[in-house]
Amino acid sequence: MSEMQIRPMTLNFGPQHPAAHGVLRLVLEMDGEVIDRADPHVGLLHRGTEKLIENKTYLQALPYFDRLDYVSPMNQEHAWALAVEKALGIEVPKRAQYIRVLYCEIGRILNHLLNLTTFAIDVGAMTPLLWGFEEREHLMEFYERACGARLHAAYFRPGGVHQDLPDGLTDDIVKWADKFPEFINDLETLLTENRIFKQRTVDIGVMSREEALNYGMTGPCLRASGVAWDLRKSQPYDAYAEMDFDIPVGKTGDCYARYLVRIEEMRQSLRIIKQSIENMPAGPVLAPDNKVTPPRRADMKNSMEALIHHFKLYTEGFHVPEGESYTAVEAPKGEFGVYLVADGTNKPYRARLRAPGYYFMAAVDFLSRGHMLADSVAIIGSLDVVFGEIDR
Amino acid sequence: MEQVTFPLDSVKQALSGLIEDVSTESGEVVVRCASAHIIDVLTALRDEPSLAFDQLTDLTAVDFPSRPYRFQLVYQMLSITHNLRLRVLVSVPEGDVVPSVRPVFASADWAEREVWDMFGIFFAGHPDLRRLLTDYGFEGHPLRKDFPLTGYVEVRYDDTQRRVIYEPVHLTQEFRDFDFLSPWEGVQRDIQTADDEQESAT
Amino acid sequence: MSMNNLDLNTPIPPGKDQDMILNAVTDEIANRGFVIAKADKLFNWARSGSLWPMTFGLACCAVEMMHSAASRYDMDRYGMLFRPSPRQSDVMIVAGTLTNKMAPALRRVYDQMPEPRWVLSMGSCANGGGYYHYSYAVVRGCDRIVPVDVYVPGCPPTAEALIYGLLQLQKKIRRTSTIARG
Repeated sequence: MSEMQIRPMTLNFGPQHPAAHGVLRLVLEMDGEVIDRADPHVGLLHRGTEKLIENKTYLQALPYFDRLDYVSPMNQEHAWALAVEKALGIEVPKRAQYIRVLYCEIGRILNHLLNLTTFAIDVGAMTPLLWGFEEREHLMEFYERACGARLHAAYFRPGGVHQDLPDGLTDDIVKWADKFPEFINDLETLLTENRIFKQRTVDIGVMSREEALNYGMTGPCLRASGVAWDLRKSQPYDAYAEMDFDIPVGKTGDCYARYLVRIEEMRQSLRIIKQSIENMPAGPVLAPDNKVTPPRRADMKNSMEALIHHFKLYTEGFHVPEGESYTAVEAPKGEFGVYLVADGTNKPYRARLRAPGYYFMAAVDFLSRGHMLADSVAIIGSLDVVFGEIDR
Repeated sequence: MEQVTFPLDSVKQALSGLIEDVSTESGEVVVRCASAHIIDVLTALRDEPSLAFDQLTDLTAVDFPSRPYRFQLVYQMLSITHNLRLRVLVSVPEGDVVPSVRPVFASADWAEREVWDMFGIFFAGHPDLRRLLTDYGFEGHPLRKDFPLTGYVEVRYDDTQRRVIYEPVHLTQEFRDFDFLSPWEGVQRDIQTADDEQESAT
Repeated sequence: MSMNNLDLNTPIPPGKDQDMILNAVTDEIANRGFVIAKADKLFNWARSGSLWPMTFGLACCAVEMMHSAASRYDMDRYGMLFRPSPRQSDVMIVAGTLTNKMAPALRRVYDQMPEPRWVLSMGSCANGGGYYHYSYAVVRGCDRIVPVDVYVPGCPPTAEALIYGLLQLQKKIRRTSTIARG
């Protein structure tokens, strides 16, 4: 029998593709229906954020962090605020720490809701999106009430949060948090035991513990591979040390495990939300250091000094002493780190943003080899990639 | 992120002869080594059981144009077993070739591609060192300090050629980069440079 | 009663007048089996009533675009269904930062859309570069690449703002003479 020469086919996926979760271009080398090699072309949303940050003051750079992972904006801001606070050596008031934790967990649920529901769409289920986005609307309302913006908050500032929560907001969040577990159960009835969903995800894109560490996976993708690692527990920042919550860990490391980990993380986030509201102390929400944090508006009406501080702060900004530091937070997708090099001026000398999704995307080639074309969609969906942070 | 008991001694022991310096900078452990030793250092950090730095969290670079060794490569290491962080710094001059750590840590794959893209540092032994983030056919390395913020080219659709074309950047308003450090110093610096120019002219 | 006297640019509020016209149209269909209307007005009515936008989510604005299509804002009410293919769509919503690398792809997708087509630029990045205006990698306004009909300001515009922009686009379509536009 003569051997047939099969020419490998190259398939171009994207950059405009509904299952690409943004602007991914994937060049796939196919052997029939099986993927031989995947070459993701990223950078289609590369906006030069790191270069822009070098040219802005520390405060002007903060809103860029919202726009990195625009699905959970405040978690990114948190990393920047912590990095600047570390460099300046300022202490954040307790109340501000609790508000930050509260909003970080709201951001985590926002992120997981979007990821899980769009993942479901990618593998063929429409309903979760319609349900999940209604819950997202509630959460965005909470964002809006705290800071005035539905998405890009710029709420966490070096030294605390920009303003205190309005009256009654925490009560409404508690009311919502009481109802939300029911939604998670409903969502699970749609997906967890769904035969089609399981066929599309179980044993797809498997990563062992060692491989996951080697490929730089963090967050739910690492935990799905059986590594109990969460920066909120192991290297707690802000008020996370005072919270009581569990870390869900997957066993199989496939797309389905990543889904299950995220579902459970939403439940744990609810626990943290309730605890942070219950234990939230009264007090200021911004560090009293007027060289770093703006004076209150009321003070500016009476005090000349406050007015000068305000003017200096919003034109020149504050100067950060020379030094290098690496600060990481557990963003919903994984470890979001900021490597900040300060040179003593009012602008960062260099800010490297370590985005978790970047390393997930790099692992797509490894994960999708030997799988069918349709599985690559499930893999990308389960990795939870957002191109704002990958391309930066 | 307190790392109360960092086993500094075992770091020194495991890396003896390979590194230049171990120090603690504002609570973070920093190891400096020469670029030739980087693979050995990272392997030793990973394989020493009392350290077990099993993840290369991040790899990046910083540009210091005034230094003789212009670029500083930064390897962020994380030990999940012992909950430790460590930073390896490698200084390299412009045009130098750095051995790739892709064989040791798979996460270095894209990180090195990005450093090549953004800084133009070449990694020897990397299987696929192409540009990653910047445009197809991009020239220059944007995160170098001498690269202008707005770059050199911008795009526009040309109706006659019926395609997207590249043109030199034309801004209606320049980026407003105020020097807030001190207005008087700024003036003096200008006078100084003007004097220097006059001297060099004569 | 003839439809020719009607000014379709100003909508007739519900009430006696509207009922009268609707009854007249229904009667005419019942009696003769057809009605006579101006072709361009009819086309405009059909086009503005079923604007099918293409999902071209680039960045942050795409999240708000998804929200405008999802349960609370429900764009389907206006006959707007998101289509994943440019060949089936009438409107392109440029939602997010357009980068130099993406620009040729955007233009290609625009060229694939059938006439008549409209472009809605959503958010300050697409309008003029916005927060990323001075970056080396960003197109300073998507109107450098494709002709834009409606600009929606905001960073990102809320889902409501996007829907308002789409309603403005409907208005614009209604008052253009489509046949002359070709």
